[in-house]
Amino acid sequence: MKIAIVVQRYGADINGGAELHARYIAERLARHAEVQVFTTCARDYVSWKNELPAGEETINGIKVLRFPVNAPRNPDDFGRKSAIVFERTHSVADELAWLKSEGPTSKALIRHIGRVRDEIDFFVFFSARYYHAWHGVRAVADKAVLVPTAEREPSIGASIFGPIFRGVRAIMYNSLEERAMIQALANNRQVPGVVVGVGSNIPDRVQPWRAKRKFNLKRPYAFYIGRIDENKGCGELFEYFIRYSTMYPDGLDLVLAGSTVLPIPKHPRIKHLGFVSDEDKFDTLGGADFLVMPSPYESLSMVALEAWALGRPVLANGRCDVLRGQAIRSNAGLYYEDFDEFAETMYALEAAGPLNQVLGRNGRDFFKRHYAWPVIERKYMEVFERLKKEPATAKLEPLPGWFARRKATIPPSAGVVGAAPKGPVLR
Amino acid sequence: MAEFQIRSDAVDVEQIMRQIRARIREKRGADYTEQEIRELASVKLEKFLDPRGVRSNLVEDFRRNRVVSPEPKTVGIGDVDVLGSPRAALRTIRRLLNPILRLFFSPTPLVHAVNSLTKEQNAINLEFHRRFRQREEMDPLYYEVIHNLVVELTRLSIENNNLKMRVESLSSRMDFDERRARALESVVQYKPAPRPGHVERPQAEKPQADRQPSDRAQADRPQGERPQADTPAADPQRAGLEPRDQGERGERRRRRRRRRRPGQNLANGTPGVQGPESSVQGQGEGNQDDGPDDDGPDDNANDSMTDDQSSSPQPAGSPTGQPPTEGSNE
Repeated sequence: MKIAIVVQRYGADINGGAELHARYIAERLARHAEVQVFTTCARDYVSWKNELPAGEETINGIKVLRFPVNAPRNPDDFGRKSAIVFERTHSVADELAWLKSEGPTSKALIRHIGRVRDEIDFFVFFSARYYHAWHGVRAVADKAVLVPTAEREPSIGASIFGPIFRGVRAIMYNSLEERAMIQALANNRQVPGVVVGVGSNIPDRVQPWRAKRKFNLKRPYAFYIGRIDENKGCGELFEYFIRYSTMYPDGLDLVLAGSTVLPIPKHPRIKHLGFVSDEDKFDTLGGADFLVMPSPYESLSMVALEAWALGRPVLANGRCDVLRGQAIRSNAGLYYEDFDEFAETMYALEAAGPLNQVLGRNGRDFFKRHYAWPVIERKYMEVFERLKKEPATAKLEPLPGWFARRKATIPPSAGVVGAAPKGPVLR
Repeated sequence: MAEFQIRSDAVDVEQIMRQIRARIREKRGADYTEQEIRELASVKLEKFLDPRGVRSNLVEDFRRNRVVSPEPKTVGIGDVDVLGSPRAALRTIRRLLNPILRLFFSPTPLVHAVNSLTKEQNAINLEFHRRFRQREEMDPLYYEVIHNLVVELTRLSIENNNLKMRVESLSSRMDFDERRARALESVVQYKPAPRPGHVERPQAEKPQADRQPSDRAQADRPQGERPQADTPAADPQRAGLEPRDQGERGERRRRRRRRRRPGQNLANGTPGVQGPESSVQGQGEGNQDDGPDDDGPDDNANDSMTDDQSSSPQPAGSPTGQPPTEGSNE
């Protein structure tokens, strides 16, 4: 079986959520099928500048084909078009213009997908919201498997995504909440959908003492891993933590790892380790009392899964349906929606408390049950086998005509997403 | 912060979150949401504004932006050649055909009528402009008057607000004072009015329990050995008593000594320690009687025995059967 993974960026050193997800899946599926990756030359997800050479490359044994991006993103233009699509009544043409402005606009990539469509059994498209996925799915809908990595944010409410969600062969969801949201927005229950998520390369052994010595971590701490960004809820995390630290002078420290977009407040109990290696990351996580995930928008938090894999509970932002749902279903984490809850849950999750061990154990079980690699691989391969047996019946809905495309009748996508059912899926 | 009770490994995160929220509600006292708290916190505190500080530059702005309307244009057709045209050929044709045109109507009265109407219109325009200019000249005055009124009104409004706040402040202070006064009244017992001939014991005579050891040592000595000048009671001037008062007090002391039985201690013989404020009376009045400088050497033994007892309250109707008024009068 030949499988092509199509993703906006790809590389051993590219650690964006969806990109890492795509790399892990490619490397794991390579054990069962012939896998190649189609991606762009971009390294930066904001500008999509061509930084990597076009052409073929092999990364961790996977063949990677890179295609140049036609033009880098113009942030002003993208902001303007986003405002039109998200906040105003608009047309399909507006949405297509927004998609093009968002990028990464690589026509060579889309042309290549069309060219090799007969050679590949299935194309796995990552990140529904980007240009490559939308146009790629339209080029090879009958062989397209979509991994939407969709978060509850306005872009997913754009009307152009409805036909994509209804027209692909299968969708590999990251969570029950993501599936519920997409099914509510696109009414695509007939499309085979499996909640899979992604595993992680968890080391067999972690050495927390090593990280503690290396980073001089002498006090118990809560750990955050990821981009330190306002969109990831870090601003609120800092505000809450500073208040918490004044209330509980003997409470936990906050240790951060990851690149910074948001300035980190200078505080004796907030420590930033910078961008760390996987070894350091896991060792530090192993020594943490728990992982804190302040992001209000997540389709799946891989670091939360890694924390659970290491038997560490997770403190999540309760406004993120996915994280909240996972915390409840796994019984392996708590969540907060305001400062009082943050302070109480921080206290409750301290390693010295009675909850920490129990939740950590539940997390480890949850990870093994749902996110261990054999489970993930089996789910993917079962979907491919099933699709191979079943003929593609659904046809991709065509775009409206020239005039209809320009009729401003589509409601603001932010309102569309806002009206979709929310909350964790508990079953 | 209370600990969680984990009875088994099967924890329920939702249940824990419910417990946490319940505890937060308990701590807050009122079930405010974070949003409500933020709104409350963001409300700006009302401050006292100084009404004299109200300044407005509206008039200056008005003056700066004022535009004077232009003079009206005078229009008129004058001696217009109705048959004229820039094209010579057309002019020639019109001139040739003019007699034929005049067969049907005469254009001259029309031209006159239009001219007279134009003149009238110009006159009206001038008059209108004159009046408009007058209005424009009056406008700044009106504007200034309105502006002054608004400023004054604003000042008055601020002053009114300030006064209201002051009244509220005074009212709350008065309430507090009243409550305080009532609280004090409920604690303090007023002594009955002194009987005729009775003299209040001066403040300088402290209760025995409060005395310094040196005073007590002096009290234990025989009267003849005491340095009289050192004791306030010995010095009428220092004790704040008149000589006549000293004489009366001497008589009272003698009466009291006569009443006491041998072996009867001062505490037992000190009535007037009944009622809710008995502890206050017991301490103050019992000890007042026991002043070593008053009782002299013959009472010292009793004094030393009853030091502790005298400070403790005695039940109403003491064993000695002394009337309660006696001790309290002392």
